[in-house]
Amino acid sequence: MGEYALLYILFAPFVGALALIFVSNRQPLLVRSIAASAAFVSLIASLYIFYGYDPGQGGFQFVQKYEWSRQLGIALYLGVDGIATPLVLASSILLFAGIFVSWHIKDRAKEFYIWLLILAAATIGVFMSLDLFFLYFFYEMSVIPMYLLLGMWGSHTKKYLEMTDPEGLKQRDSVGFIFNFASNSKEYAAMKLVLFLSAFAVVALMGILLIYKFSGLNTFDILVLREQAKLMNIPVLGTTLDKIIWVLVFFGFASIAPLWPLHSWSPVGHAAAPAATSMLHAGVLMKLGHFSIIRVAFEILPETTRELMPIAAVLCMFSIIYGGFVAFYAKDTKYVIGYSSSSHMGYVFLGMAALNYISLSGAVIYMFAHAMATGMLFAMAGWVYDQTHSRDIPSLGGLSNKMPFVSACFIVACMASIGMPGTVNFIAEIMIIVGSWNKYPIQVIVAMLGIVLTLAYLFKMMRGLFYGPMNQKYSHAHDAVSTVDRLPLLMMIIISIGFGIFPMHLYDVVRSGVDPLVARITQVVPVARTGEGFGVKGEAAVTEQPSIPMVANKPIPRLSEISRGGRE
Amino acid sequence: MSFTLNLSFSDLLLLLPEILLTCWLCVVITVDFASPRLPKERLAYLSVAGLLVTLGCLAWFDVNHVTGTLFGDMFVLDRMAIFFKIFVLASTILVILSSIQYVNRFTLFRGEYYVLVIMSALGMMFMASSNDLLSVFVSLEFSTLGFYILVSYLRDDLASNEAGLKFFILGVFAAGLFAYGISLVYGETGKLVFSDMASAPATPGLIIGFLLIFAALGFKIGAVPFHSWIPDTYHGAPTPVTAFLSIAPKGAALAILLRIFLVALGAFKPTWIYLLVVVSIVSMTYGNIVAIAQKNIKRLLAYSGIAQIGNVLIGLAAGTKMGSDAILFYLLAYLFANIGAFAVVIAVSHAIGRDEIEDYRGLGRRSPFLAFAMLLFLLSLAGVPPLAGFIGKLYIFVAAIKEGLYTLITVGLINIVISMYYYLIVVKQMYINEPTDPSPISISGPMRAVIYVGLAGTLVIGVYPQPFTDWVVAATVMFANFVAPSALAIPPNPLVGS
Repeated sequence: MGEYALLYILFAPFVGALALIFVSNRQPLLVRSIAASAAFVSLIASLYIFYGYDPGQGGFQFVQKYEWSRQLGIALYLGVDGIATPLVLASSILLFAGIFVSWHIKDRAKEFYIWLLILAAATIGVFMSLDLFFLYFFYEMSVIPMYLLLGMWGSHTKKYLEMTDPEGLKQRDSVGFIFNFASNSKEYAAMKLVLFLSAFAVVALMGILLIYKFSGLNTFDILVLREQAKLMNIPVLGTTLDKIIWVLVFFGFASIAPLWPLHSWSPVGHAAAPAATSMLHAGVLMKLGHFSIIRVAFEILPETTRELMPIAAVLCMFSIIYGGFVAFYAKDTKYVIGYSSSSHMGYVFLGMAALNYISLSGAVIYMFAHAMATGMLFAMAGWVYDQTHSRDIPSLGGLSNKMPFVSACFIVACMASIGMPGTVNFIAEIMIIVGSWNKYPIQVIVAMLGIVLTLAYLFKMMRGLFYGPMNQKYSHAHDAVSTVDRLPLLMMIIISIGFGIFPMHLYDVVRSGVDPLVARITQVVPVARTGEGFGVKGEAAVTEQPSIPMVANKPIPRLSEISRGGRE
Repeated sequence: MSFTLNLSFSDLLLLLPEILLTCWLCVVITVDFASPRLPKERLAYLSVAGLLVTLGCLAWFDVNHVTGTLFGDMFVLDRMAIFFKIFVLASTILVILSSIQYVNRFTLFRGEYYVLVIMSALGMMFMASSNDLLSVFVSLEFSTLGFYILVSYLRDDLASNEAGLKFFILGVFAAGLFAYGISLVYGETGKLVFSDMASAPATPGLIIGFLLIFAALGFKIGAVPFHSWIPDTYHGAPTPVTAFLSIAPKGAALAILLRIFLVALGAFKPTWIYLLVVVSIVSMTYGNIVAIAQKNIKRLLAYSGIAQIGNVLIGLAAGTKMGSDAILFYLLAYLFANIGAFAVVIAVSHAIGRDEIEDYRGLGRRSPFLAFAMLLFLLSLAGVPPLAGFIGKLYIFVAAIKEGLYTLITVGLINIVISMYYYLIVVKQMYINEPTDPSPISISGPMRAVIYVGLAGTLVIGVYPQPFTDWVVAATVMFANFVAPSALAIPPNPLVGS
C-alpha cells in the first residue's frame, strides 16, 4: 500500500464495478460480496490515509501523478490535503455502509451496485484531484449514475402511485411526464437533478476554461495555477476577469452544495432516491460543491475570495432558515431529511464565508460530521420505507414497538444532527459559530435559530414515525435484527460519537489543510500595492511570516484554544 | 498548369490503397456475378477482408511516413489524408458488418449493395486526398453517386424512395452550386490547387465562389442552413446506410473544409470566422432543440448529428492547428459513438421491426447488453466523462478558448445541457419504463462485434486519449505552416509538471 493508497481508494470501486459486469444476477450473494469487498478495500485504504496523513508536515500527501494528455496539459494528479482526507474517509464509509443498507435489493441488484460504486468512486475522485480537468471529469461523472439510480430504483410519491387507472398508467410512461411537476415522480426528480447539475457544471467549466486560457500556462494543474496564474486586474465587461471567473466557479459548484436559490433539485432528488443513494447524495455528493469551491476558487483566486465571499454569507442565511421551515412543514420523511440537509449545508457556507482558521476548520469538520448524521437518517428512513412502503409521516406512527433498534438509532442520529455534545457535529457547529461570530453576528444568530428549527422538525418527525398510535396496516414491519442490517447504522454511530469524544486527530488533520489556505487568503499581498503578480510573492510572504499559527511551525493547538482562536 | 503523366512506380505506391480497393471492388462484383448462389454474407466478409488489407496498407503508410503528391498537386497523400482514409475505411468496415442481417430486407441486388458501399468509400478516400477544386468535385460526386442508390435501396418502401429523391435533388443542386463556385474561383484566381490560392486578393467574385463551395460542403456535412435533407433521408434510408451517411461523408467533407479554410483561405480568417461562428451556433442550437421533439430514434440521431457538426465547426472556427487536431479527435470519438448507436438501432429494429423511441421501452430488461451499449453511446454523444465524446468536446472548447471565441463556447456549453435532455429521454425509455413485451432480443455475431468495437473505442479514447491525441497532432502537422504562429504549438513551460 503506502504511497499508492489513493489509487486503491479510487480504483477499487471501479474494479469492483467492472468485475460485477461479468457476474450474473442469479448469484445475489456473489454480487453483494464483490461490491462489499470493493468498498471494503476502499474503506481500509481511506482509514490508512486518514491515520497515515501527517498533519505536522501538512500539504498534499500520497501524491500520485501520471501524464494523461500532453497536448492539453492534463495529468492524473492525485493528492490529499487536510481538507480532502476526512471527506475521502467519509465517502468510503458511506459507500461501505450504503452497500449494506441496500443489501436486500432484489431488482437488478448487480446493476444497482455497479452504478453505486461508480457514483462513489467518482465522488472520491473529485476529493483527491489536483488537476482542474480531472476535478471536473469526476464531478460530471458522478451526476449520470444518479439519474439511473433514481430512475430505476427510486421510490415514488403517493400521488404517482395513485395513477393506476389505464389513463394514468399511460400518462406515467409518456415522455412528457417528466414535465408533470406536480407529480414529483422519480422520473421528474432524476431528470431535474441531472439537468440542473449539468447546467451549473458547465457554468463551472466555463470558469475553469477561462482560468486555463488567461493563466496562459497550458496546464490544468491546480498547484501550478495557484502559484503562477496571474488573473487579477484584467478588465472585462466593466468588471475584472477574476470576479467573473470566481462567480462562474462559485455558483457553478454551489448548485450541488446546494446554496439557497439553487437548491430546488436537491430535496426532490433525495426523496426519490433509494436509501443508499440518498446517503451518498446527501452525505458526500453535496460536499463536492463546497469542496470544489475551496479547491478552485479559494486556492486559485484567494484575493477575489476575500472580496466576494460575503455573497455566500448572505445566501447561507436563506439556506438555513428556508430549508428549516420547509422541513418543519414537510409531510414526507425523505423531504424532511432532504431539506434539513440543504439547511445544514448553509452552516458550511457560513463557516467558509467567515474565512478564519476556526470557522473554516469547523466547516470542513461539519462536512464530515453531517455525512455521518445524514447518512444515518437516510438509512433509517430507507429502512422504514422498505418495511412500510410509505414516506408519509401522518400515516405512520408507533413504529418503535416494531423496530426498537431502529428507533433507538434514530434518536442518536437526531442528536447528532442537532449537534449534541458528544457527537462530532457539536464540535463542528461550535467551531463555525464561534469562528464566524466576529464577522457575521447576524448570520450566527440565524444559525442558532436554525439549530432550534432542526430540533423541532427532527423531533416532530421522530414522534410521527416511532411514537404515538400505531397504524395497524404496518403491523408486519420488523426491526433491523441481522448483523448485515445493523452494521451500517452501528458503524456510523460509532464514528460520529467516536470523533465527538476523540476529535484530536481529525482536528489536526483539518487544521493542517485549512491553515495555509486561510493564510493565503488573508495574508495575500494586495496587487494594487505591489503592482505585479500576487501569487508567488504572496506565497513567499506567507512562508516567511512566523506569526501565522501554522501547525507545522508550532505546537498543535488544543481544543481549549478554540475560543481564543475565535477572537483572532 | 503542365500535366505530364509519367508515373513512376514509387508514385503509384502513393495510390496503392485506392488501387487495391478498386481491384477488390472488381473481385467482389465478379464473385457476385460468377456465383449467384453464394450466401451474401460471404460477400460481406470478402469485402471486409479487402477493406482490412487496405486499412493495413494505410496503417503502414502512417507508421512509415509515406507522403507525397501526384498529378500536379491534384492528389496529395499527407498524414491528414491518411487519417481520413483510415477513418473512412474503419466506418465502412463497421457499416458492412452491421448490414449483414439487414441486407436480407432488400428484395433485389443484395450483392451489389456491398459493391456500392465500397465504391462510395473509394470516392471518399479520394476526397480525403484531393488537393484542388477539380479533384474535390470529381471525388465528391463519385462518392455521392453511390449514396444516391444506397439511400433508396428499399425499393418497396415509400419512405426510402422519398429519401432517395430528396437526397438526389438537393445533392445535385449542391453539386451545381459547387461547380459554379469552382468556376468563379478559377475565373478570379486562375488557380485550382488550394495552396496556390493562399496569396490571392479578396475580390467579390472569389468571396462568392467560396461561399458557394462552402454551401455545397455544408450540404455534405449537414450544417444549418443546408441541413433540410438530413432528417428525411436519415429516416427513410436503410439504417446501415444512414449510419454510413452520418459518418464517412462528414469526415471526408471536413477534410476538404479543413484544407480550404486553413490552407486556401488561411489569410482571410478574420472574415470567415464570422461565417463559421454563425453557422456553428445555428447548427448546434437548431439541431438540439428540434431533436427534443423527435419520436423516431433515427430522426433523433439525425438532428443530434446536425448539432454535433455545429460542435465540430467550433474547432474549424478556431482556425488553428489545435482546432484541426480537435476536429480530428472529435470525429474519432463521433465515429465510434455514432456507429455504435446506429448498430444498436439496427439490432433493435431487426427484433421489433420499428424504430420509434417508444419501442425502446424496457430495453434494459429485454437486452441488458444493447441497453448498456446504447447508454454509453448516447452519453458519449452528449459529452459525459469518462467517454470519448467528453474529451472530444473539451478538446474543441480548449482550442476555441485559446482563440477567444467566448460566445461560441458559451453556446456550445449550453447545448451540452440541452442535448443531455433528449439523450436521457431515450435512456428513460430503456431503463425506467417497463417493457410491454418482455421477450429477450437476440443479436447476431457480426452486430455484436460492431457494438464491441464501438464500446471499446468510446471507452478507450475516453479513458486513455494520449495515443489518439498524438496521432491527430501528427496528422495535422501540415497546418503548422499556414496558421498564425501564436497558436502553433504549446509553448515550452518548464514549470508544468515540476
